[in-house]
Amino acid sequence: MLAPGLVTLRFHNPKVARETIAGQFVNVLPKAGAIDPMLRRPFSVYNTDGDEAEIIIQAHGRGTNILADTAEGEMLDVLGPLGNPWNYKSGDFKTAVLVIGGVGVASMLLLTRALVKEGLPVQSYYGARTKDLLALQDLTNLHVATDDGSEGFHGSVINMLRKDLEARKIEQPKLFVCGPTGMMRAAAVLAAEYGIPCEVSLETEMACGIGICQGCPVPTDDTTFQKTGKRFRLVCMDGPSFSAETITI
Amino acid sequence: MNGVESNGQAKADMRVRLRGVEFKNPVLVASGTFGYGAEAKKYCDIEQLAGIVTKSVSWKPRPGNPPHRIIETASGMLNSIGLANVGVHTFVSEKLPYLAKFDTKIIANIAASSMEEYRDVLEHIEQHATPNLVGYEINISCPNVKDGGLSFGTNVERTEELTTLLRASTDRLLIIKLTPNVTSVAPFAQACERAGADAISLINTLVGMSIDIYTHEPRLNTVTGGLSGPAIKPIALAQVYQARKACGIPIIGIGGIVSAEDTVEFLIAGACMVQIGTANFVHPDAGIRVARGLAEFLQKQNISAVGDLVNSLRIRAELKAAGW
Ligand SMILES: Cc1cc2nc3c(=O)[nH]c(=O)nc-3n(C[C@H](O)[C@H](O)[C@H](O)COP(=O)(O)OP(=O)(O)OC[C@H]3O[C@@H](n4cnc5c(N)ncnc54)[C@H](O)[C@@H]3O)c2cc1C
Ligand SMILES: Cc1cc2nc3c(=O)[nH]c(=O)nc-3n(C[C@H](O)[C@H](O)[C@H](O)COP(=O)(O)O)c2cc1C
Ligand code: FES
Repeated sequence: MLAPGLVTLRFHNPKVARETIAGQFVNVLPKAGAIDPMLRRPFSVYNTDGDEAEIIIQAHGRGTNILADTAEGEMLDVLGPLGNPWNYKSGDFKTAVLVIGGVGVASMLLLTRALVKEGLPVQSYYGARTKDLLALQDLTNLHVATDDGSEGFHGSVINMLRKDLEARKIEQPKLFVCGPTGMMRAAAVLAAEYGIPCEVSLETEMACGIGICQGCPVPTDDTTFQKTGKRFRLVCMDGPSFSAETITI
Repeated sequence: MNGVESNGQAKADMRVRLRGVEFKNPVLVASGTFGYGAEAKKYCDIEQLAGIVTKSVSWKPRPGNPPHRIIETASGMLNSIGLANVGVHTFVSEKLPYLAKFDTKIIANIAASSMEEYRDVLEHIEQHATPNLVGYEINISCPNVKDGGLSFGTNVERTEELTTLLRASTDRLLIIKLTPNVTSVAPFAQACERAGADAISLINTLVGMSIDIYTHEPRLNTVTGGLSGPAIKPIALAQVYQARKACGIPIIGIGGIVSAEDTVEFLIAGACMVQIGTANFVHPDAGIRVARGLAEFLQKQNISAVGDLVNSLRIRAELKAAGW
């Protein structure tokens, strides 16, 4: 267990372990073979190691509760890797700023590794309600904020980051954001204010995770895209990460 | 005879014929649950499917409904996709040519909001037909758009009128997809038969609803949506059975099928083919799993041809005598 309510599942899956690039996800059946619950649940690939991969589960509903109770040795039915990676090679920044809320931390370990490999400095801004909920493994240059002030900055992670941006402490930043919707929206607004690139990794309901159900739309502001008659992008296929200015969170 | 297994047991004949068209097995994938083939291809050898019923296509592209579009419910899901589709022009310029590369049959599903739109879409596809396009499935049963086909699908006269109109525009298979959201499916099945449809397919989704008890808000933006998945299988089966009793044209059974055993039930009830829908979202290769399982079932049961199962329901004489 990383933090209360967060469970790590490690499983053998050479395809997922070897092919996943930071930001991609897997779609996992709560119970293999069952028809209730029936649909897979999407989870970021948190870690890969040889032929094994890990996901972090925040247990808060039917499917995640079942998954969090998975016994050692049980079979997991996993489809993936799915979706697009974080666009960490966009070349329009000198410092990667990871903005993390809650279980959003799950997509940050592989991203950190990839950025370090690219030789890019990383600053991690991580917010939680209270200090017990922080899952702090393997984050680089960590700045912590808690809503109750039990650790680090007292307040939201966005306000903490705003202070550092105001003080011009970060050289040519690009934000990589994953967390609750409200936080991602605030991060997008902040990035627009400072004119810095910002990518958000979205969570929507998904049925298939592979682009066949059309169940995971996000409204888009992208006018060239809209010329095709479409008003939505699909989080599973076109995302899950998007350049914040192209979509309406 | 299709061949003999090494253990000497004959392989069952899985082929199905709908008018002049021969399908390699009875398992199709349902409209709206398999995209236009390209997305699922990575996970499913689509040439092992009898065919693909493509996502409903309308004259103009439709963006679909705003989120939230899907909600899981007990053994099923509600959707309000809202017929998001690329429009018929992109369909014939991109999707059909792509699908033409595969050794599987294509059935183009059409949705529209007027008689003329249905006819125009069908005729436009007809003009650009590819060799493996074998027919059309007419969606008069989508519950998720305000101006959609359901106004046809719940009115016997309009169903008949539309079928007659479209029959005049094509010699390919014409399949009318019926809705379960009516008191009785029987008069609709008969109307389709009278108007010259080659087959009917049923069921489309049932109108359903889910509510967030803390906010008192409906969980779907369209308030109600279409229910699909294993939860609806018993309803679908009963409707196939009622349609079988009411008409003589072939029936394609749809609704909650996840396994070969589910398929066998539909065949016994009177369907000659089935479509796999929601199950594709869980296993994109659900269709070929079902087809394979069906072949094994037939072999184990010593049934030589899948057609032998069709309409083989046995209702005991005393039940029949009692009016059941
Ligand atoms: C790309 C992506 C990556 C994700 N990564 C993680 C992760 O690493 N760790 C983690 O704990 N969670 C992650 N989530 C969220 C996780 O998928 C949901 O918490 C989970 O599906 C909820 O399932 P449930 O059965 O417990 O909840 P219920 O509320 O019982 O679910 C009912 C239905 O709603 C869907 N649903 C509900 N909430 C969400 C949500 N926030 N996102 C997507 N679907 C939802 C479920 O899939 C299910 O179909 C991710 C979501 C996405 C889209
Ligand atoms: C997400 C989703 C989208 C669908 N889209 C269409 C569609 O575009 N046209 C159509 O005729 N039926 C559509 N359907 C209905 C299915 O083809 C099928 O009739 C129904 O889901 C019942 O089968 P199932 O329980 O196996 O899913 C859709 C169903 C779902 C779940
Ligand atoms: S989850 Fe099915 S299209 Fe995205």
